[in-house]
Amino acid sequence: MLRYTLGRLLSGIITVWFIATATFLAMHAVPGDPLMNEKATTAEIRENLARKYGLDRPLAEQYVIYLSNMIQGDFGISFTQQNRRVNDIIKDHFPVSAALGILAITFAALGGILWGAITALYRNQLPDIIIMFLVILGISVPSFVFAALGQLLLVNLNQWFGTSILPVAGWGTFSHMLMPSLVLGLGTMALLTRLMRSSMLEVVNEDFIKTAKAKGLSPQRIFFKHQLRNAILPVVTVLGPQIAAITTGGFVVELVFAIPGLGRYFVQAVQQLDYTVIMGTTVFYGAFLVLMVILVDIIYGFIDPRVRLK
Amino acid sequence: MNTTRILTEADFAPAPSKENLEQITRPSLSYWEDAWIRLKKNTRALISLYLIIGLAFFTLVGPWIWTKDPAAQDLDQISQAPALPKTALLVKDFEPSPTPIDINHPSEPSGYPDALDAVTNFTVQGTPTTQSVRLSWAPVNEAGGYSVYRSESAPDGMLGLGLPLASLTSGNIVGFEDRLNLKSQTYYYSIIPTDGFDEFDAVTTLEVSPQQSITVSQALERQLIDGDDRPGQTVQLAFHPLGTDYLGRDMLARLMQGARVSLFIGVVAPLIYVLFGVFYGGFAGYLGGTIDQILMRFADFVVALPFLLFMILFKIAFGIGPGESGVLPMLIALILLLWPATARLVRGQVLRIREQGYIEAARLLGGGPSYLIARHIIPNTMGVILVTLTFAVPSAIFTEAFLSFIGMGVAPPTPSWGSMCNEGVKTMLSHPHELFFPALFISITVLAFNLLGDGLTEALDSKMRSKE
Amino acid sequence: MNGPALLEVEGLTVEFETYGGTVKAVRGVDFTVEAGEVMAIVGESGCGKSVTVQSLMGIIPMPPGKITAGSARLNGSELLGLEPRAANAFRGKEIGMIFQDPMTSLNPTMTIGDQIAETLKVHRGIPDQQAFESAIKLLEMTHIPEAKKRAKQYPFEFSGGMLQRAMIAQSLACSPSLLIADEPTTALDVTIQAQILDLLKTLQARDSMAVILITHDLAVVARTAQKVCVMYAGQIIEHGSVDDIFYQSAHPYTLGLKSAMPSNVGDRDKSLNPIPGSPPDLFSPPLGCGYAARCPHAMRICHEENPPFFQDSLSDGHAARCWLQAPNAPVVPELYQSNKIASDGA
Repeated sequence: MLRYTLGRLLSGIITVWFIATATFLAMHAVPGDPLMNEKATTAEIRENLARKYGLDRPLAEQYVIYLSNMIQGDFGISFTQQNRRVNDIIKDHFPVSAALGILAITFAALGGILWGAITALYRNQLPDIIIMFLVILGISVPSFVFAALGQLLLVNLNQWFGTSILPVAGWGTFSHMLMPSLVLGLGTMALLTRLMRSSMLEVVNEDFIKTAKAKGLSPQRIFFKHQLRNAILPVVTVLGPQIAAITTGGFVVELVFAIPGLGRYFVQAVQQLDYTVIMGTTVFYGAFLVLMVILVDIIYGFIDPRVRLK
Repeated sequence: MNTTRILTEADFAPAPSKENLEQITRPSLSYWEDAWIRLKKNTRALISLYLIIGLAFFTLVGPWIWTKDPAAQDLDQISQAPALPKTALLVKDFEPSPTPIDINHPSEPSGYPDALDAVTNFTVQGTPTTQSVRLSWAPVNEAGGYSVYRSESAPDGMLGLGLPLASLTSGNIVGFEDRLNLKSQTYYYSIIPTDGFDEFDAVTTLEVSPQQSITVSQALERQLIDGDDRPGQTVQLAFHPLGTDYLGRDMLARLMQGARVSLFIGVVAPLIYVLFGVFYGGFAGYLGGTIDQILMRFADFVVALPFLLFMILFKIAFGIGPGESGVLPMLIALILLLWPATARLVRGQVLRIREQGYIEAARLLGGGPSYLIARHIIPNTMGVILVTLTFAVPSAIFTEAFLSFIGMGVAPPTPSWGSMCNEGVKTMLSHPHELFFPALFISITVLAFNLLGDGLTEALDSKMRSKE
Repeated sequence: MNGPALLEVEGLTVEFETYGGTVKAVRGVDFTVEAGEVMAIVGESGCGKSVTVQSLMGIIPMPPGKITAGSARLNGSELLGLEPRAANAFRGKEIGMIFQDPMTSLNPTMTIGDQIAETLKVHRGIPDQQAFESAIKLLEMTHIPEAKKRAKQYPFEFSGGMLQRAMIAQSLACSPSLLIADEPTTALDVTIQAQILDLLKTLQARDSMAVILITHDLAVVARTAQKVCVMYAGQIIEHGSVDDIFYQSAHPYTLGLKSAMPSNVGDRDKSLNPIPGSPPDLFSPPLGCGYAARCPHAMRICHEENPPFFQDSLSDGHAARCWLQAPNAPVVPELYQSNKIASDGA
């Protein structure tokens, strides 16, 4: 298990290096002058700025500086907010996105497993039909529509009851998080419900369920000890990529609900062509996602002995 | 022995023939025939297939039938909800008229009044139209002026009076003409007497529903009339079955044009990257060994890139020049980022098929590599590739919509369903149809391709099952 | 035979509702199993062997499966149509069962020891620790080396043969009076097959437990069983002692099975004779004998009416569903026909 974990971490580091390099190359392929948007109009000031950000050096040298800074965990200084370090921007805004994402993935995973199990139990009966109809909606409707509808719902609810049941937008308290994270998790929840359902139905037909019946176990015991645990395994394997989908999907929800997360900041940075912020945020997100996938793999190892013991 | 009948010599005669031997054999079906039969039994998949054909018709043939220009702005009908064809009252062009004044009434109060009566006789002169609403009232004693307000909902006393239209500073003014951006809906006009500066607590409210109208010169300009028509007649306005957006552009025409962008990206990008993935993965799987290791390692790296962030990065890296729609950069970014999934899948398939006994058998019978690839490997991976392609379409459409929604997709004025949603969400509360229709089209398309994909997976299941 | 048998099955009929129609998988099967005897059910794939025993255990999927008629009594008490709770009282306790593929028949995410202990916990209410120790003893009983360590391992760490031993240990945990072994050696290597069969025989003899052994392998039957039922197209077409079946085959199908079996005694150069054709479609079973279409001796009546059992007049408990055993049927030299022998002798 230790060797497995170390191996995964090593390949993760190489992956992050690849992400950093790809980001660097993509950003340097952007046409036009990165200082174009600056207020600095005179050539002299531009030159000074270029020197400051190392833009006057050859590309290879810039790459080495960029990488060595990154290894030291320094993402540089923002182009548009001259006295703000990218590290500080990430430190300020990422926890907001992370809190939103963690709550969303929790909603999605718990909901997906629960609804999936219910649909499999009531296969082709009314609960199954209703839930699967909602699941199809959840998969087919874009996240931003859910976000807009969620906000609309809150507006109407608050109007209906005459008081603020949940805040419509903004950030700060737990109640601010509820609707955005629910909206953010909906698509993933629908996906996981589908997966859980088909996984449950597959496990029901496995030979070991027949063995469990032949052993004279109660249906409840078969369901919880034999069926559920095996059915959850494929759901856990997709959690890693789904965390990635949810984190980046947060952009829209952060925009719609006016949440000061890193996603909203990234979109803003792209609009202003803030090089260092774009690069720093991308590499940070990439590293975070790689870490998440590794984490999920390790958790999977604990659930599935076949992976753990190899 | 208790048999049911007495057995005779004839019963023990040899049976006439063996025509019943193997009577259960069914006519043999090819893999694709069998899959097609199973797909046809799947109602949901079949409905999806019809939906997709309908969407293709909507996109390709639609603009030939519904020829309205998607960029033309109909200023008479801005943000209009879906409705049947509308008519408008033809009215005379605007001619400035003097402010109506009651010359028998003093223009200023004699002193500083402690209280003023509410306005009486607050009525509309003539027919209220969307060109102008003429209000008139009887002057109030000791008033030094009047404030006029307009609201879209009924005010509650002095609350919710709405938009301040005018602050008249003469007590003997007895009329006001509202020409401010009127629509054919109900308005609540309120008038409050003032002493010339401050409003008094005495409000009179009037409910007015202006009739849709158009001036003669506007109608001529838009070619709705040919010159002979006279004011007072009604003319037919341009028809917008799905309403208009916030600039008065026809929603149906825009949805059709948007479909071209969304479906182009949604279909072409998967076609290209799945094809590339097939070659890449097939190549790696067929060659195997070190080359396979290197190729797949690279694919793993590309998979690890945070997808949406890199979509945005690539898009700005390719840049959008002035006047460009940004469709091409998005297409290229999608292809660059999404091919590895197909490559992995196809490689796995090829590796699995290579191990199968029938490949060995075909090789022993003298089948060369090209024969094996054409006759065995490609036909046996086609099912998986087809399913991948079907599921790739909705994800590409989602990506386009998502990026356009956060303003990183196609550039205005080119419409795509995603960018239409982006515009629609801003007026979601007042004009929900501007968000509803593009969102509906995205959802239906994604739904249809997903259900078709499910149906195909089931129909091709005999092969899919052995995938893992 | 005196006193009631351990298991009495009468007129068992099982159908499956499918999209294509109703499949009559088992069509009126009767048999009895005495305490302590090994009875084999043989037949080709799809003839209803597994469905027969699985419906006794109540583990066929219902729906689409349905037991439409028949009864099965274990020590006089009815097994069919029981409430789940009542059924669980005998499953795993009175009747143990082992399956064809040990690799997929054990839960991959539970240790072997826990799975064996589970049976004991559920049926005997034994506490966890004690149940696990009993599980280790059961593993030792099935000759699994280092049972203590093995009990803490997962199925994927076992070989096929070892897993089948673990399955046997699990099914014997509550010392059942009847063990159903559904093709226990089919998925295993030949050398392992012999070991598993020996183990089964030893344990059967030690506990004088009855065994129903399902197989399509006549060699396995010859090695282990005392009594044999031959099934074809959802019916038993011949039953009798092992000697009856092997040396006095009274049904052409039994003959066909025998000639399709490789043998290492006698003429080794003799080629194997597969039976031509395939079993009939059980969506609409034939009017007459199910085997008639493939039978080299088929007569007119064979296609018209399903034969009843004709009792072997010389051997008790040996009978065959074949018109050739009718008193006035023609003589077929290679077939055992007790009526002909009897009349010759008379």
